[in-house]
Amino acid sequence: MLTVLIAMFALALVAPVLFSRLGRSAFFVLAAAPAAAFVWLLVELPGVLAADQAAPNGAPGAPPSLVIPWIPSLQLELAFRLDALAAVLCILILGVGALVLFYCARYFKNDDPDVGAFGAQLLAFAAAMFGLVLADDLILMFIFWELTTILSYLLIGYSRHRLSARRSALQALIITTFGGLAMLVGLVMLGQEAGTYRLSEILADADALAARGTLVDVAIALVLVGAVTKSALVPFHFWLPAAMAAPTPVSAYLHAAAMVKAGVFLVARFAPGFSETAFWHPVIFVLGMATMLLGGWRALRQFDLKLVLAYGTVSQLGFLTMVVGLGGRDGAVAGLGLLLAHGFFKATLFLVVGIIDHQAGTRDLRVLSGVGATSPVLFAVALVAAGSMGGVPPLLGFVAKESVFEAFAHRAEDGAAGTLLLGGIVVGSVLTFAYSARFVWGAFALKHGGPRTAFPRVRTSFLLAPAVLAVASVVFGVWPGPLDALVQPYAALFASDDAAPHLALWHGFGLPLLLSGVTLAAGGALYLLRRPFEQFQERLPSMREAEVVYRSVIGVLDDVAVWITGRTQRGSLAFYLFVILATAVVTPLTALIIFDAPLPTSFRIAQSPAQVVVVGAIIVGIIAALRSNKRFMAVLMVGITGYGMAAVFALHGAPDLALTQMLVETIVLVAFVLALRSLPARLWNRAESRHRLLRAVLGIAFGGIMAVIAMSAMASRNAAPISLAYPQMAYDDGGGANAVNVLLVDIRAWDTFGEITVLALAATGIASLIFIRGRSDHRRRADGVEDGSVDRGQELLDARGRSGAALALAARFADVPRDPWLVAGRTLAPERRSIVFEVVTRLIFHTMIVLSIYLLVAGHNLPGGGFAGGLTAGIALAIRYLAGGRFELAEASPVSAGALLGAGLAIVSLTAAAPLLLGGAVLESYILEFWLPVFGDVKFVTSTIFDIGVYIIVVGLVLDVLRSLGSEIDERSEADDPVEEDAGADALVPPATEGVRP
Amino acid sequence: MSRQRIPLITELPLVVWLVLVWGALWQDFGVGNLAFGAILAYVVVNFFYLPPVELTGRFNVLWLIPFLGRFFLKLVTASAEVFWLALTRGSRLRNAVVAVTLRSHSDFLVTATGHAISLIPGSLVLEVDRSTSTLYLHCLNVASADDAAAIRRDVRATEAWLIRIMGSRDDLAALRAEGVRR
Repeated sequence: MLTVLIAMFALALVAPVLFSRLGRSAFFVLAAAPAAAFVWLLVELPGVLAADQAAPNGAPGAPPSLVIPWIPSLQLELAFRLDALAAVLCILILGVGALVLFYCARYFKNDDPDVGAFGAQLLAFAAAMFGLVLADDLILMFIFWELTTILSYLLIGYSRHRLSARRSALQALIITTFGGLAMLVGLVMLGQEAGTYRLSEILADADALAARGTLVDVAIALVLVGAVTKSALVPFHFWLPAAMAAPTPVSAYLHAAAMVKAGVFLVARFAPGFSETAFWHPVIFVLGMATMLLGGWRALRQFDLKLVLAYGTVSQLGFLTMVVGLGGRDGAVAGLGLLLAHGFFKATLFLVVGIIDHQAGTRDLRVLSGVGATSPVLFAVALVAAGSMGGVPPLLGFVAKESVFEAFAHRAEDGAAGTLLLGGIVVGSVLTFAYSARFVWGAFALKHGGPRTAFPRVRTSFLLAPAVLAVASVVFGVWPGPLDALVQPYAALFASDDAAPHLALWHGFGLPLLLSGVTLAAGGALYLLRRPFEQFQERLPSMREAEVVYRSVIGVLDDVAVWITGRTQRGSLAFYLFVILATAVVTPLTALIIFDAPLPTSFRIAQSPAQVVVVGAIIVGIIAALRSNKRFMAVLMVGITGYGMAAVFALHGAPDLALTQMLVETIVLVAFVLALRSLPARLWNRAESRHRLLRAVLGIAFGGIMAVIAMSAMASRNAAPISLAYPQMAYDDGGGANAVNVLLVDIRAWDTFGEITVLALAATGIASLIFIRGRSDHRRRADGVEDGSVDRGQELLDARGRSGAALALAARFADVPRDPWLVAGRTLAPERRSIVFEVVTRLIFHTMIVLSIYLLVAGHNLPGGGFAGGLTAGIALAIRYLAGGRFELAEASPVSAGALLGAGLAIVSLTAAAPLLLGGAVLESYILEFWLPVFGDVKFVTSTIFDIGVYIIVVGLVLDVLRSLGSEIDERSEADDPVEEDAGADALVPPATEGVRP
Repeated sequence: MSRQRIPLITELPLVVWLVLVWGALWQDFGVGNLAFGAILAYVVVNFFYLPPVELTGRFNVLWLIPFLGRFFLKLVTASAEVFWLALTRGSRLRNAVVAVTLRSHSDFLVTATGHAISLIPGSLVLEVDRSTSTLYLHCLNVASADDAAAIRRDVRATEAWLIRIMGSRDDLAALRAEGVRR
């Protein structure tokens, strides 16, 4: 069972490859998958039908089942069960699926775009439907349910260049997802109430559950909402005709045989046991009847053949829902009979329309003329299918409809409501016959006054699929025995004293036969009177259609979204910060007051005089940052606070923290300065005084609340901190003396894993915001770049004046044919070069790299670690970039940033997962001690490999920042006109004038 | 410009330096650690290619020690001087940009001289003319041409020290010739 399911999904995955090799003939290969599954089903079928349908899984005589625990803590299982109902659906899903895929091979052209993806989606859809009917777990069923929704969205939107296709696809997605979510709530309620999510157990226990009252009633009603939206019942019916924007094979499969049947399947699944709950019959009968009549009514006035069928399908779905939801053995037999009959004839008709569209280029029944005479076989096939739809003996549709009439005639004996239902069904059937006849007439008849439609000969392979289905409609009509055997086991699930009726061609004289006769006669009359009837329909005042209501609801939603977005996301950074900080002040403050949080009773100003000095420097930095009127100055001053924090950490005995803080501060400063180059130098937008006061109050309040929180947190402690055990744990289990590092790479490695993943994402995000055309990870070399060509003319120098002379002088200064110190220093514009900087960079670069590796390796026992090491290497790269320009950076990084990020994540993930293979837990670390010649005793802890991954990711991140904020902005500003209005020259920090500072 | 293969002998000083750094970082100059450091240094130097550094081949430790003594002395006195000037004169101080032409045309020596000068408070290298080996310094408290001349003498004296320590033989010969002429 699982093998079949997985095989279908797997083939769907590789389908695009098949299509690129075989062209459209790959559909034949794809069709083989459901066909093989169909054969498997036929082999299993006798056992399934002979089984006791109500027996729990695994009991003797139970249908084949399979249960694999998935997430035990959520009671989630991969539970599958092939019972009789699932088998009936599988016949449609696999049989019709195989035929439709086969048909696709002739419907599409080799050069149709995306046909590979389409084939994959269609096969995956078949697999998802297969999984849906087999699922024996409520949540698993929901997963497959949503899978079909998403795949149908993709399939309907196949013609993605057409607005109507995209809109219809989205509409179907929104409506069915809405229903799906309602269903999920219902399923969860049901599962919680029953204490199990196993579908077969819930159904076995249904009577007791149904007796519990309102909660279960509501749950079932919510499940029905899912069924109603999926099966396109009123008031959600309109998505189905709109979905006809899909290619016709999709309509034949999704909208006739498979997806819309999912709703009917759901009703059939819950009917034995829950059909007596409070909301069941009202929902099923009112919506079903309304849908049946509305669909039939609308179908009679469509001119597009496909829309005739679409509204016909809507009508039939309402009909099916009523019959299947009726409850009782007679309803079950009639319902499943009708389900099969509808699958056969409606798929046939859609495929026929596809052929007509393909050959004649139109589906308009006012234009088509004489097709029946040109293509008699096609005509015969369509005639059989339409006859079956209209209920003409001796076809399968007639057989099914007879048993439906019988079942409802039985109900009519009980009272007026039953009589009303029976009457409604007869009216619906009359409409059905009329539009069936109109369809055949419209598609094939020779119309007066019009030219014959040109219609090339239809290839046998194209016609095969609908022909097979039409033959099925005839054979099972004349010989309904096999189908009867198929549906009887399901009917036995209903507790009833009555013997289940049988599907048969001849039921004897009685009310059903009479009603069939009435249907044919009245339907024929309505067909003959189709012109007056159309005029009559047009004269009626047009009702407000459900689709219009849907559109206005969506429109209002859009407007509200725009309104809210406009009010909140208005692009003012100050406003965002204000909201965020205000929330950060108010929420904790409220909590502190409500919970009466304790505050410490004794205070100490400082632990050492050095702390006072450092904090004094930080305060000076803050005030200077606030008072500065240039961005660059403000950034430098903020940097002082950062370095001050590093000093505070160091003084407090946290060397790791201090080291990392210092490195981060340095990198941030570089990134800031690089980014500032594209902003005006001065801070123009000074706030008005009123705002300034507000901002000052908010800023001080935020700082104050943070201090209070910190103090309160310390005063609130009443248990020993968990961290007391860390040093011992780190040494004994983690094999390292540096508790901070072992904490990061071992004890709490999951946190680190999450953080570095975010880091890699952030780096990719920055890169994708700036490199719009892709990551541009290809390596660029300095070879072939002209001397002095890079970063030219950013200084806004006037070529004639003093600055022009300065430029010429700078060029002369740097222009010396001497040995290079850097690889690409020569490419930089002369005014941007600094020989002092180049020499120093040359001398310290390798030393910094060695230092970074030392920090990485030593981190396990001494201050350092992958993060600090990576930052150090990143600073080394930043120096190379600042000294030699963007080509120097490219030369300095032989591996691209993207590759580094990916490799780092891969190393980290593999290190995390590798212990699983050795029988350990995820992220478990091992201590290896061994002896090597020369090196002596070596102790290696595997979490070091994890740290190497962190190191590589951090290097990749810094490289990405340098590439995007540095190189890419350089390149853009070179490409732009160098004389820009606002670009402030003094925001730039040209290395040439910086020299060296103590 | 294609990458030239760097002969091992040229690369050796750098590798030895890196190995020493490695040992110093671990505070372990055992054979095992240094061997690992050597492998690491070789890999790093080859993975991150940079043009070869042509050193002069000389390094005179006997001159280095008195130079360091002189350097630290100047560091301390200059710090005190700048502190005093900042207190007493503040923004009324008169400063100047002074051009100093150096003897050596080695980038390395120019850089070393520039650093030695910049590290001493009160003077800062603003710009280097690579073609004539001229340093442009920003200096505090330069009131007259004599002050500027004094600074030039001081910078050239610093350069002379550095040439004696690690200058090329040509530069050293030129320095000696200069001394003879005086």
